[in-house]
Amino acid sequence: MKVLNLEHILTQNGFGFAYLSADLAVLSCNPLFRNFAARQGEVLAQPLPLLFPETFGLETVFEEIAAGTRPFFKLETLQRDLPDADECYIDIAVYPTSRAEAPLFCLIQNVTPKAQLTQQVYQQQNEIRLLESIVRAHQAHAALNIWGTSEPIRQIRQTIAKISRIPTATILLKGESGTGKSMVARIIHHAAMGKTAPFVEINCAAIPDTLLESELFGYEKGAFTNAVSSKTGLLEAADGGTLFLDEIGEMPHKLQAKLLSFLETRRFRRLGSTREQEVKIRLITATNRDLNLMVREGEFREDLFYRLNVVNIELPPLRQLGDDVLLIAGNLIQSFNINFQKRVQGFTPAARQKLRNHRWPGNVRELRNAIERAMIFVESDMIDAADLQLGSLQAQEPSASPLERFQLPPEGLSFDDIERKLLEEALALAEGNQSQAAKLLHLSRDTFRYRLEKFNLL
Amino acid sequence: MNTLQLHKKICLLGTFGVGKTSLVRRFVYDKYDDEYKSTIGAKVSQKRLVPLENSRKELIQFNFLVWDIEGVEKATPQVNHYLLGAHGFLLIGDLTREETIGALPAISEFARKIAPGAPLVLAGNKADLAPDGSHTAAVLAEVADRLSAPYLLTSAKDGRNVEDCFTQLGLLIAE
Ligand SMILES: Nc1nc2c(ncn2[C@@H]2O[C@H](COP(=O)(O)OP(=O)(O)O)[C@@H](O)[C@H]2O)c(=O)[nH]1
Ligand SMILES: [Mg+2]
Repeated sequence: MKVLNLEHILTQNGFGFAYLSADLAVLSCNPLFRNFAARQGEVLAQPLPLLFPETFGLETVFEEIAAGTRPFFKLETLQRDLPDADECYIDIAVYPTSRAEAPLFCLIQNVTPKAQLTQQVYQQQNEIRLLESIVRAHQAHAALNIWGTSEPIRQIRQTIAKISRIPTATILLKGESGTGKSMVARIIHHAAMGKTAPFVEINCAAIPDTLLESELFGYEKGAFTNAVSSKTGLLEAADGGTLFLDEIGEMPHKLQAKLLSFLETRRFRRLGSTREQEVKIRLITATNRDLNLMVREGEFREDLFYRLNVVNIELPPLRQLGDDVLLIAGNLIQSFNINFQKRVQGFTPAARQKLRNHRWPGNVRELRNAIERAMIFVESDMIDAADLQLGSLQAQEPSASPLERFQLPPEGLSFDDIERKLLEEALALAEGNQSQAAKLLHLSRDTFRYRLEKFNLL
Repeated sequence: MNTLQLHKKICLLGTFGVGKTSLVRRFVYDKYDDEYKSTIGAKVSQKRLVPLENSRKELIQFNFLVWDIEGVEKATPQVNHYLLGAHGFLLIGDLTREETIGALPAISEFARKIAPGAPLVLAGNKADLAPDGSHTAAVLAEVADRLSAPYLLTSAKDGRNVEDCFTQLGLLIAE
C-alpha cells in the first residue's frame, strides 16, 4: 500500500503550508501559501512574521513547539484583505515536525464561508443592541437639555456631579414650570444609583390630598372603607433608590408633618398598620413656588423646609440661557429626527432669530413642543421661522407690561388707596431702602419721602 | 542620531460596537463610516508612527501591528491566543453606553494576565455624541484612575485624539 501523500491532500483541500526553520524562515511551501501571504514577491527564506504579521511576537511560543513543550498553536478567524478576494478569513496553525532542519510546519486554512456565517449572526444581534443604545443615548442627550454651555448650566452640571457622589443627600429643585426639574431629578438618580435602583415619581399637585397620603405610605387591608386589599406605598417602592416629589409646595399641612417625621427617623407605618418599616431612599423634591415665602406665611412647615433644603439647585428659566436655546433646539432636532425618521438639518437664520427672541414662558417644555410641532409639519430639511408657532394659546402674552394689564374696574376705586399701596409695595420690594424704593417708582428721593409723609408711612 | 525602528504588537479591546474597528480605520487610513459591520475574529493592520523621543533622549520610530479584535468582555482560549506577545493595549469604552466602560476593569485583568507589563491606555470613544463633562466621562476617569492608566476621549468620527491614543501608548512602550 502506498504511503499517504499528506502534502498532496492538503493542497487538494485548499490549505496553504510551509516548512519553517527554527528562526521561522520559510524553507519550502506550496503555491497556496504564497497566495495567503500578506506580501507580494519572494516568500522563500522570508521570516514568517513578515508574511503573516499575525505571528509577530510569538517567537517564544514557536520555540516551545520546536522544543516539544507545546503540542501546537493556532490563531483562528483572522481577517485578511487579499488582492483578489473581497474578504477572506484564515486560521494559522503551527505544528512541530520530526525534521531537525525544518522543525516547524505552518498550516493556513481558508475559513471564509464559516466566518461569514458567524459574521451574519453577530451582525444581526449586535446591530439591534447597538441601535437601541444609540436611540437611548440620543434620547438621554435630548432629555438632558441641561447640556448647554452657558454659565448657569455649567454650574448646575458641576453641582449635579458633586451631589451624585453622595447618594443620600436630600435635594430641593427650584425653578419655573418647564425648566426640567423632573429631568434633573432623573439625571441625579441615574448618576448616583445602580441601574436597577428604582426611581419613583409623584406630583403632589396632581393627586387629591387623601389619596396622596395613601399613595405615599401605602395601606393595609381595611385601613379605610375602600381598602379591600393592602397596597405598597411609594416610599416602599422607592427603597434603595430615589423618591421624587414634584410640586412639594402643594403638599397639605397634615402630610407635611408625616413626611417630616419620616425624614427624621427614616421609618414609617402603612395606613392602618402598627408595624414600623425602615427604607433607604434619596428624597428629591421640586417646586416652582417660593417656599421661603410660604414658610413666612405659614403655608409650609419651616422645619420640613430645612429638612428638604439641604442641597438646593435653582434651574434658570430658558430666557436667561442666551444661545443655549439654539443648542438645546439643535439637540431636539436630532432626537426627533430619530423618532420621526426625518433628516432635518437645522434652522434657517430667521428661525434662529425667532428662537432667540422668544421669551419662553413655558421654558424647555415649550421649546420641546414647538420643535416637535415644527418637525411634524416641516417639508424641507430646514425649519423656517414660519414653521415655528410660538406664543400661541398658552403663551399668555408675557410681554404685556403691568400697566397694559391694569384695568380700572367698572365700579371705580380710590386713587389714594392705589398710591398708598404702590408706596408700600415699593418699600417692601426694596426691603425698606428708600432710595431704591423711589427708583422703583421712577420718583426722586424727595418726592418719594414727601408722599410717604402724606400717608404717614415714614 | 539614529532613529530606532521597532515593531510592536498593539491590541484593541472592548465590548462590541464601542468603535475599535472605526478607530483603527481612522488611525491607519484616516477614514470613517457610520455603517456598522460587526467584527469577528481579529484583523491586523500596520501603521508607522512619527518618531518619538523617550526620557533617555532616544529617538524611536514604532511600526505598530494593530490588532482589531472582535468585541469581548471575558477571556476565551481564542482571545488569549490573540493577545499573546502584545506590547500594549488600548482598552476602549463607548461614552454613550456606560456598561461598556464598566466592562474595562475585567478586560484589563485578563489582558494583563496574558501580557504582564504591557502598558494600557483607555479611550472613551464617540466623544462627538457625549456632551462635555458627561457622566460617562467621569466614570471613565475613575476607572482609569483605578487601573493607573492614562485615558483620552476620542472620536473615530471626527478624529479627535485618535492619533494621540496610539502616541500615548508608544510613549509608554518607549520607556
Ligand atoms: N458617533 C460616533 N460613532 C462611532 C464612533 N466610532 C464608531 N462609531 C460607530 O459605532 C458603530 C460601531 O463601531 P465599530 O468600529 O464597528 O465598533 P467595534 O465593534 O468596537 O469595532 C459603527 O456604526 C460606527 O460607525 C465615533 O467616534 N462616533
Ligand atoms: Mg469591530
